[in-house]
Amino acid sequence: MRDLMDKVKKNVIWKSIFRRDYKENVRDRAVAIFGNVFLHLHPVQVRESAVKLRYTWGMGGITFLAFIVLVITGVVLMFYYHPSVDQAYDDIKDLEYQVPYGVILRNLHRWAAHFMVIVVMIHMFRVFMTGSYKAPRQFNWVIGVILLVLTLLLSFTGYLTPWDQLGYWAIVVGTNMGAATPLLGFEGPFSEYFGITAYNDVRFALLGGTQVGGNALLRSYIWHCVALPLLSIILMFVHFWRVRKDGGISRPQ
Amino acid sequence: MAEDSTTKSLSRSYLFAFLGLLMLALTLFVIWDDEYGLRPWKKYQTQYKELKRVQLENDYQHALVEFDSAGGSQKLAELEIKLKEAEEIFQSPENQNKYNTLKSSLEEVQEALSKNQNQLQRYRGELLETEYFYIKNQNSEDKAKMQELQNKIDNVDGRRKRLLEQEESLKESIMTFTSGIEELRAQIQNLKSPLEEKKERLAKLDDVPLEIKQIHINDVGKADRCESCHIGINDVEQVSDEQPFTKHPASFIYLKHHQSGEYGCTFCHRGQGRATTSIEKAHGNVKHWDEPMYEGDMTQTSCLTCHSDVKGLRGAEYINNSTELFKKYGCYGCHKISGYEGLREIGPVLTEVGSKTNYSWMVEWLLDPKSYFKTARMPKFFFTKQEAESIADYLFSMTRTVRQDEDYEAVEIDWDLADKGKNIWSQSRCNLCHVTGGRGGNHIKMYAPDLSEVGTKVNKEWLFNWIKDPKKYFPETKMPRFRFSDDEIHALVEYIMSEYIDDDYEPTYAEPEPIALESIENGKRLIQKYGCYGCHELQGMEEMTQVAPLLRQQGISFLRKDEMGEKIGTELSSIGSKPVDLLDFGKLKKLIPHDRLSYLKQKLRAPRSFRDNLLMPDFQLTEDEVNQLSAILYGFTDAHVPARYVVPSQHELYQLAGAEEFKFSGDFEKLVEDVKCTNCHPIKGIGADYAPDLSIAGSKLQETWIKRFLGSPDVIRPLIQQMPNLGLAQGSITMPRFNLGKEEVLSETNKSDIDIVLNYFQQELVSKDIPKKVPELESVPLDEQISLGKKLYDDKGCMACHQIGMDGGAVGPNLSDIGNRLNEGFIFVYLKDPKRFKPDVVEPNYNLSERERIYLTNYLMTLKLDSN
Repeated sequence: MRDLMDKVKKNVIWKSIFRRDYKENVRDRAVAIFGNVFLHLHPVQVRESAVKLRYTWGMGGITFLAFIVLVITGVVLMFYYHPSVDQAYDDIKDLEYQVPYGVILRNLHRWAAHFMVIVVMIHMFRVFMTGSYKAPRQFNWVIGVILLVLTLLLSFTGYLTPWDQLGYWAIVVGTNMGAATPLLGFEGPFSEYFGITAYNDVRFALLGGTQVGGNALLRSYIWHCVALPLLSIILMFVHFWRVRKDGGISRPQ
Repeated sequence: MAEDSTTKSLSRSYLFAFLGLLMLALTLFVIWDDEYGLRPWKKYQTQYKELKRVQLENDYQHALVEFDSAGGSQKLAELEIKLKEAEEIFQSPENQNKYNTLKSSLEEVQEALSKNQNQLQRYRGELLETEYFYIKNQNSEDKAKMQELQNKIDNVDGRRKRLLEQEESLKESIMTFTSGIEELRAQIQNLKSPLEEKKERLAKLDDVPLEIKQIHINDVGKADRCESCHIGINDVEQVSDEQPFTKHPASFIYLKHHQSGEYGCTFCHRGQGRATTSIEKAHGNVKHWDEPMYEGDMTQTSCLTCHSDVKGLRGAEYINNSTELFKKYGCYGCHKISGYEGLREIGPVLTEVGSKTNYSWMVEWLLDPKSYFKTARMPKFFFTKQEAESIADYLFSMTRTVRQDEDYEAVEIDWDLADKGKNIWSQSRCNLCHVTGGRGGNHIKMYAPDLSEVGTKVNKEWLFNWIKDPKKYFPETKMPRFRFSDDEIHALVEYIMSEYIDDDYEPTYAEPEPIALESIENGKRLIQKYGCYGCHELQGMEEMTQVAPLLRQQGISFLRKDEMGEKIGTELSSIGSKPVDLLDFGKLKKLIPHDRLSYLKQKLRAPRSFRDNLLMPDFQLTEDEVNQLSAILYGFTDAHVPARYVVPSQHELYQLAGAEEFKFSGDFEKLVEDVKCTNCHPIKGIGADYAPDLSIAGSKLQETWIKRFLGSPDVIRPLIQQMPNLGLAQGSITMPRFNLGKEEVLSETNKSDIDIVLNYFQQELVSKDIPKKVPELESVPLDEQISLGKKLYDDKGCMACHQIGMDGGAVGPNLSDIGNRLNEGFIFVYLKDPKRFKPDVVEPNYNLSERERIYLTNYLMTLKLDSN
């Protein structure tokens, strides 16, 4: 057994990956965290009170987990989906009826999306109630609020992709709300003073036209699959980094 | 902060292990579910395979038994012994020696041939090369070399030919050794192959994979996976009569003309073709799926998607009947439907109804038409008595000033005259269309009023004028103008007024009572509200009535054309694809199922049950009629199909070709208009299919016969062929006697009716494929031909269906007088392929040879009755 372990461990490949041996002590644990690209955002050591679930509820971490699930399932879903008016709905039907593990795949994405919105709210609620938005964490609170908006936008843009009645009308209503926004929408107040018409307002930008059609589907798809996730990832890493830099995860004083 | 100074490590391995196991269990469930739970078709395909195995096994065993009983195995054994003997002879050392020698010399020859071939190729190559240099340099050396090479080539080629001959003869000699064996092997193979084929099919069954079967049609974006469960839909012989294993019903019509690869299933059946996870989903019986699957007759509603015209379309009988029913009730009178524009109003003209009917009859009729006779088309409007009177007042006020009933008691009947009238009634076959006392009305496709009590509805004067010239009163009537003399009409009227009366009749409005002006105004409003003008013509008569000026002075005007243009009903052009959410279920929201079909049926059954104040009247439809009408309503969709699926109607084809549509012309057109030939006879696609098709009558019928028949029609076809469902006594239907050819002359040309018909038949209604005469056979004398023909008639069992004299069956036409009736050329061509003239004819095609057809025709032409 030992020989076998030696064989596995004492060669160039193993060493090139893990660099050094691991012994169950404080130093090695710290080194393992430092040396790992995924873990090094995390502090090597945390205070005991910070680990207590009843204070943080772990909601930030769970939100991130949901996001990871969404990215993975989302990428797989992209293999089966065409953002075109003719094919989108049929592709969704095929996911249900024909693609291997399509049902669980699509539902995982859906459930995780709902779940993420819920937990992100709870996370924010906790941060607010524990006063963790106060100095020195003001900046991170702002980042968090932007991330919340991004989460909601991700949900909204994802809603249209099945191209069914539910999504269609949701986008009709949603973008009409945009059209009624002051300054930004042509139906909103003050639009006439700024030369805002139906062809240059925020709704036009969202839909790529004045009606919910192929362009709107393509735009929401690009926002949903490329632009918004990229933004979210960047801001998330700022968010996590700032947690450490602003004095570690918040805990009872 | 003190607590943080020491480092602690915590382990959550139990929790982690527990969650890990939970995750594993879930994953395993997902795998199972994806493999079996969500793929029920695997189960069906497995079951189908088992059923198919049983079927093939039976088939094989059956074939085996048959093979044995036909002495197949014995024959096989004999052949095998022979084969063995032959092989033994072949294997004997002596033969083997010879065989091997031949073979080796063949090999030698073949080797020499291949060398020879190489040589030839080389020389030819060289020749080409030299030729090139010669052309380039014009060198005499090259010229000489070319000659030399050519000689060599000729030499080698000659050798090659000799070698080829040698090879051929060697092959032949070898063949003599083996040919016997080869032949025996082939015989054995022939004998065994049907059995082995069956066995092979059985064995191959195991290789059939379980898989989703999909028909993908790109241009309509369909992917139908129905056959994943309905795996045997294309079977010739079904493995089970249980779903989903059955074959397609009547596939020789439906699938033959709509190959599943081209059309898929949901094109006709709807439902959710992509769904494979449950029956409900696949059949579209789930919430938010707008198109549940059609089953049975209802499926024919889809014919309308591509076929503009379903008349005479095989397999579309149900929807065709629906269409006719829809037209019969004149639904298009109140509802706008694309494709049903400009059709005739089905109700009679009402402008002069005051001079036609009895006042109390009119009121009763308005209250409940079906109480007068139950086949009435007019629906019940649920009027109050006062409303009914108001409408009657409005209608009567166009010709009268008072309400008053006829005094039928005072009508004197001349019984002798009535007796004469009875004769005319039956000769004219009035009962063919009109029902009296529950009898008659056999022409189901022709709607005519029940006349059982007409004697207490109309008056003598009107009836006389009506029969004399129906079009004068009602230009678009379907009633023919019989060529009666005035005396005959008088007799007929006398008979009708004495025979067909309501014995319990009592006048309600015995005393004259002036028509009140408010009542007329009220009636006018009601007519507008309920849109009576959808079915009845009742405008534009202001100037023509005696009473109108008087009324006008009093401030009353009749409805003008522009006051009744609109159709009052909802447009139905796309009712079949109207979203369910847009249908108003009103009071019945919770009481009936929330789908389109239930809505339509309820609307047809009880039109005003959804809300108060609805206008649609109650047609008191039977459940069958409700189903049929909902089928056609379902067919009115806004579905767009690619042009390649569309089957244009005859009318549209003419339009596309830019050609004139076939129309009758000249005097014949007027005659048809007058006698209404097309009420029963189809002629080149025009008219009902109740009587024989006359499209090629000129080629088919003999001149003298046409003349005689039109003068006095008698039975040709037994009833059964026309009215299979009625079960009436055979032979009771013939063409009515229209009294054609009587003194009357139709136009300036001074021709009699019969001449007009004859002329038109012979000039227009002929087929150039039908010769006048049968080809002559000089080799066989006519007598002999006739007797041979008679023999054929007996041999082929013609008398099973046809009657000659008193013998024979009654399915086909009686042939006793065929020699006087049909042209011989027609019989000759008809016998070749009966279905050519009438696709649904019962007569089988016996594949008679031309000679046989000549014999038979000549025989049939001898069958004549000497009536004259």
